[in-house]
Amino acid sequence: MIRSEPRFSVVLTATVNGITVILLLFSIFVTLRGHNAPGGGFAGGLVMGSAVILRYLAAGPPGVRSLRIDPISLIGAGLALAALVGLTSLVAGDAFLESAIWKTKVADIELKVVSSSIFDIGVHVLVVGVVMAVIVAFAEADDEMRGRR
Amino acid sequence: MIPLLIAHLVVAVACLAAGRAGARWALPFAALAPAATFVWLVAQAADVLDGDSPTSTVEWIPEFSLTIALRLDGFGLLMGLIVSGIGVLVLLYSTQYFGRRDDLGRLAGMLVGFAGAMLGIVWADGLLTLFVFWELTSITSFLLIGFTDKVEAARAAANRAFLVTGAGGLCLLAGLIILTITGDATTISELAADPPSGTLTNVALVLLLLGAFTKSAQFPFHFWLPGAMAAPTPVSAYLHSATMVKAGLVVVARFAPTFAAEGPWRWLIVGAGLSSLLLGGVRAMRQQDAKLALAHGTVSQLGFLMVLLGLGTSAATYAGVAMLLAHALFKAALFLCVGVVDHETGTRDMRRLRGLRRALPIVAASVTVAAASMAAIPPTFGFVAKEKALDGLLDNEIGAVGTVALIGIAIGSVLTVAYTIRIAVGLLGDDAPGIDVDHAPIDPASLHRPKPAFVAVPALLAVSSIVAGLAAGPVGRWLADVTTSLDEKTATKELKLWPGVNEALLLSTAIILAGVALWWFTRPSTRTVDARQSLATDIYDRLYDGLLDGARRTTVLTQSGSLPFYLAVVLTTLAAALGAALIAGATDSIASPRFSNSAVEFVAVVVTGALAIAVLAARTRFVAAVLLGGSGYGLAIVYLVQGAPDLAITQFLVETLTIVVFLLVLARLPSDFLPAPAWAPRIARITIAVAVGATMSLFALSASGSRTAPSAGEAYVALSEPEAGGRNVVNVILVDFRGFDTFGEITVLAVAGAGVINLVRAARREQRRKHIEDGTDVAPPETEVDRQVGAWR
Repeated sequence: MIRSEPRFSVVLTATVNGITVILLLFSIFVTLRGHNAPGGGFAGGLVMGSAVILRYLAAGPPGVRSLRIDPISLIGAGLALAALVGLTSLVAGDAFLESAIWKTKVADIELKVVSSSIFDIGVHVLVVGVVMAVIVAFAEADDEMRGRR
Repeated sequence: MIPLLIAHLVVAVACLAAGRAGARWALPFAALAPAATFVWLVAQAADVLDGDSPTSTVEWIPEFSLTIALRLDGFGLLMGLIVSGIGVLVLLYSTQYFGRRDDLGRLAGMLVGFAGAMLGIVWADGLLTLFVFWELTSITSFLLIGFTDKVEAARAAANRAFLVTGAGGLCLLAGLIILTITGDATTISELAADPPSGTLTNVALVLLLLGAFTKSAQFPFHFWLPGAMAAPTPVSAYLHSATMVKAGLVVVARFAPTFAAEGPWRWLIVGAGLSSLLLGGVRAMRQQDAKLALAHGTVSQLGFLMVLLGLGTSAATYAGVAMLLAHALFKAALFLCVGVVDHETGTRDMRRLRGLRRALPIVAASVTVAAASMAAIPPTFGFVAKEKALDGLLDNEIGAVGTVALIGIAIGSVLTVAYTIRIAVGLLGDDAPGIDVDHAPIDPASLHRPKPAFVAVPALLAVSSIVAGLAAGPVGRWLADVTTSLDEKTATKELKLWPGVNEALLLSTAIILAGVALWWFTRPSTRTVDARQSLATDIYDRLYDGLLDGARRTTVLTQSGSLPFYLAVVLTTLAAALGAALIAGATDSIASPRFSNSAVEFVAVVVTGALAIAVLAARTRFVAAVLLGGSGYGLAIVYLVQGAPDLAITQFLVETLTIVVFLLVLARLPSDFLPAPAWAPRIARITIAVAVGATMSLFALSASGSRTAPSAGEAYVALSEPEAGGRNVVNVILVDFRGFDTFGEITVLAVAGAGVINLVRAARREQRRKHIEDGTDVAPPETEVDRQVGAWR
């Protein structure tokens, strides 16, 4: 929940508070469905990144800062996850990033997990980190202006 | 052999990782690796000297015939014993020299890492294996010279040594690659068995020699070695006298018997070797710092060794091998003695030292013996080896070049005797010639007494010089077996302590007498070059500064910081390159354009184009950005209509975020466009724009009309579901089939993101610094902001 400062629109703040969760869920959906239908990690990451941008637009620097996430950590985690998937397939004797497919049945519903989905999640996390890095740059610039005043 | 190298690596990493906690035990612990190597080599010695050469090969990248090929022959055995034996001694000596310090883990780790790399060089049979270990010694040497990294001079010396030996390493690599091709061989033994010849091979050999000269500090690359004395004395004793500087000699010794008769080899060797011998000798005469005098003496001795090992005749090679052993023993002993003196008196300035004969008797005795070996005075091993060298050169079998070598070595040896006496007298004598007012002599009575363990190491090395001299017979037979591994033609030769009165002995006597005379007549001279840099260093520094300056100028010229300039260059290049390709032959295949497939697409295309043209009419940046974004959305619709939903989604999202970021930036900039720069008049800008647009359109049409190979897409579509378990083929291509590309792209993205964050932080630090300098450190927006910002700091 972000609180609005006087110079920001109350309506926008309230809306953003409402749709942040929806955007987050939707972005995960976009990433995961990517394997079989239009979507994917890059698009999903951008959707989640747009949630960060909305918070910034609605509340200024505190909107991003209240997330208490270091964009560098996100970028590193995403890259590490993607590399890990690639290396796992190398260790298993396949080509870099060659997919492994796991299937299980839970109560008559067939579940299928493909290793490249995990790679896509890495892409997703990394893209969110990069978008956030850009927004943090703006937030820092705002702080600087305020400090000067 | 490989397990031993791995042991060095593991011990090195362990010492480095232990850090401060392991500082106390790091040096003795590090000695375990070379000690194990020494023991193993002794166990192998009998077999190896009988002519058995155990090899050890690890396939690395077999596709490129890259293997790590090691081979333990007689020469590898001798050098391995020197490297590991002196390594153990230096590490034990270091425990006394350094006392308790926090950074000994780092020192021990680098020293043992260096020892491992050096063993790799002396055992290498594979040409690329040799190069890899060669570079590893350059890197560890760089770190060790700069060990006292808070001292500017040490860093500069490390840098210089690294750049010189690194450049030499590149020459060596080029030479080795050419030899691999011309000789169709990947190992030294294959090359020796079936040597190539011809111009290209000669070029390779010259490059190889350049590499060897830089590493072994030969003229004109000698200047880095005195600078490297910035390293702690035990390090100098180990790397810059006994081992690393021998790497160049090892390479020369291994190639000379096969290639010395080729092209310019012998003249290059004799030219560089004799120049170093004489120059180093003269400069050693002028130093007041005992360690620097030894360093210049090392340049001189390395020149001597270079000539012996490089001539390629079996007599010279044999003498060279003996001299190599002699030099390692006496030079390490002398360096370590200077280390003790420095440690106990606090100075290495020979003008200030006096009374050491009584204060440090064991050191004084060791210096005397080692100096005697250096000056080739019987009954030391240095005498035996030098005698053999003169003997071998007197039996000249290679013509003029052999005569030049003999004369040069005789003159160089006179200098050697003179500077050796000068150093010995300077360290041990009492008269302290030419004392400056600000250089008060030390008071021998107030000296610190060294612990027995401290002086034991140099004493042991000095004793070895005598023992090897007295046991010249057996040592000589052993070294003959060693030499056979370099040059099969070596007839069994003997080393004799007293060969009887012959030409060589007469020459030796003359050299010693002349050396003593030279020392006596230059004795009153207090000339010193301490303050002055050598010419070679000046030239090097000027080249280095020139290079940096040139790079700066190029940067200023090409990176003007003007966006219009960058765009003009990039776009003109694009139009010219594409236009040239089109004119060169692709114009005949231009597909006839289809403007639309459906009404929706028609509308989308028209709107996209109209918005793009409207950008031109925009008066403010804000409007232009929004219009551009609209044009991008139009394109997304075209993608959608064409049946590419993934592309459309991505285009749509990217366009959205781009506009938002664009506007956030524009909010902080003036709203109007700046006037165009004077160098880009309207007509030029229009020309570039039209040219780019026209060539891009033609290129797109031409590319789609020129397909020759079947589309890769169909195979991907067929394989998508069965191979990668996904029905969205676009995504499967991204994350599986071409996943490596995607990985590369996200890495770029990660670097860009990290770059943004770091720029922001750098700007923040800069501002903070300015505030502090101005005295207006208002601790910029502290309280509320800093508390919240904490999350991403």
